[in-house]
Amino acid sequence: MLPRTTFRTSLNRIFHTTSKRSLTIPFLSTLPQKPGGVEGTANDPFIPPAPSKTHGSYHWDFERFLAVSLIPLVTLPLATGGSISTVADGFLSTVLLGHLYVGFQSCIIDYIPQRVYGKNHGRAMFLLSLGSLLSLIGVYKLETEENGTIGVLTSLWKSRKDDEGQQDEKN
Amino acid sequence: MNLVIKRSVARGLNFQRGLATTTAVTPRLKNFKVYRWSPDEPSKKPFLQNFQVDLNECGPMVLDALLKIKNEQDATLTLRRSCREGICGSCAMNIGGRNTLACLCKIDQNESKDLKVYPLPHMYIVKDLVPDLTGFYQQYKSIQPYLQRKSYPEDGKEILQSVEDRKKLDGLYECILCACCSTSCPSYWWNQEQYLGPAVLMQAYRWLIDSRDQAAQTRKTMLQNSMSLYRCHTIMNCTRTCPKGLNPGLAIAEMKKELATD
Repeated sequence: MLPRTTFRTSLNRIFHTTSKRSLTIPFLSTLPQKPGGVEGTANDPFIPPAPSKTHGSYHWDFERFLAVSLIPLVTLPLATGGSISTVADGFLSTVLLGHLYVGFQSCIIDYIPQRVYGKNHGRAMFLLSLGSLLSLIGVYKLETEENGTIGVLTSLWKSRKDDEGQQDEKN
Repeated sequence: MNLVIKRSVARGLNFQRGLATTTAVTPRLKNFKVYRWSPDEPSKKPFLQNFQVDLNECGPMVLDALLKIKNEQDATLTLRRSCREGICGSCAMNIGGRNTLACLCKIDQNESKDLKVYPLPHMYIVKDLVPDLTGFYQQYKSIQPYLQRKSYPEDGKEILQSVEDRKKLDGLYECILCACCSTSCPSYWWNQEQYLGPAVLMQAYRWLIDSRDQAAQTRKTMLQNSMSLYRCHTIMNCTRTCPKGLNPGLAIAEMKKELATD
């Protein structure tokens, strides 16, 4: 009887919450969390993370800059029907890659936060950076050895059209 | 003496009979499915309990129905409520899939449709419809929601504000901190321990743009990290759900703009 009562009194917060299993990624280890998600009472202030502009406004500015610069870069090949210079194509590919990088980074911060996943957060970020770096090399290869990103896209489009054309001829 | 009593009893009976013969109103029973969980039985899973309420004998709002249930059917039903007119923000809950104040939410008079009442989503539940808002209040405290100044008018009088500057606070100061918007935000669901959420961020903006406040720089610096402000992905659930018709999404966007050139 005694251990049970001590157990009851040691629990400051008894809450019901959805099974933790459904809220975390099953194959990643997680850190122990605060009971009830909070520490202290309503009179204790929440302590925000240390200020850092590179993770704050500069990051946001960069994100918006990439998104806005994509507008003319995407409009140009659409307007010219795919025939753009290698420089313009290189810009488009790099900015698009940056845009994707920032987007996935945001997903990782949202769904694999350091607070819950600890080192796994860093690992996810590392994998993303590694993938982006490899993609950047791929972009370089596309620009130097192939027809560029738009060139590859156009060839896909054309070959499919050619296939259809051949099928039409057969019919 | 006996006669008098007999007479009055007879009169009473007559009166009652008279009432009973008036048109009998058929009860309009509507099903209210209410989320129940009690910390007294932690091992028992939460469930939806069905209550039938006669709409003929109930006020127009969901809070009226819940209080009628609490008064007449199950006194253990637990919920927060205070002003019953949408100014205190106590009775915030998820009604029919939307976060709103029970006292401002009309009951759908179609009694064939069930009404589901849940507590605010993705919060730790204290009991039944009562969520734990400790973290929410801690976050509100952290933005220092009070006027901060280095200097005061020399004549010792109040700090004046122009009509235009006062107008900037309209649509911000009306917030009653009911937490409907914060708990409707998916970003807040995932990261409520670090992301401040729309309600608190709107108040942060309210103090940031107040012309009488002189601590704008510290207020901005506090938000310069990846979690506090920038977890907002303009999902706009906050604006859609606000029972007071405010626009926290706009306030957050304005604040991002303020910080962009900081």
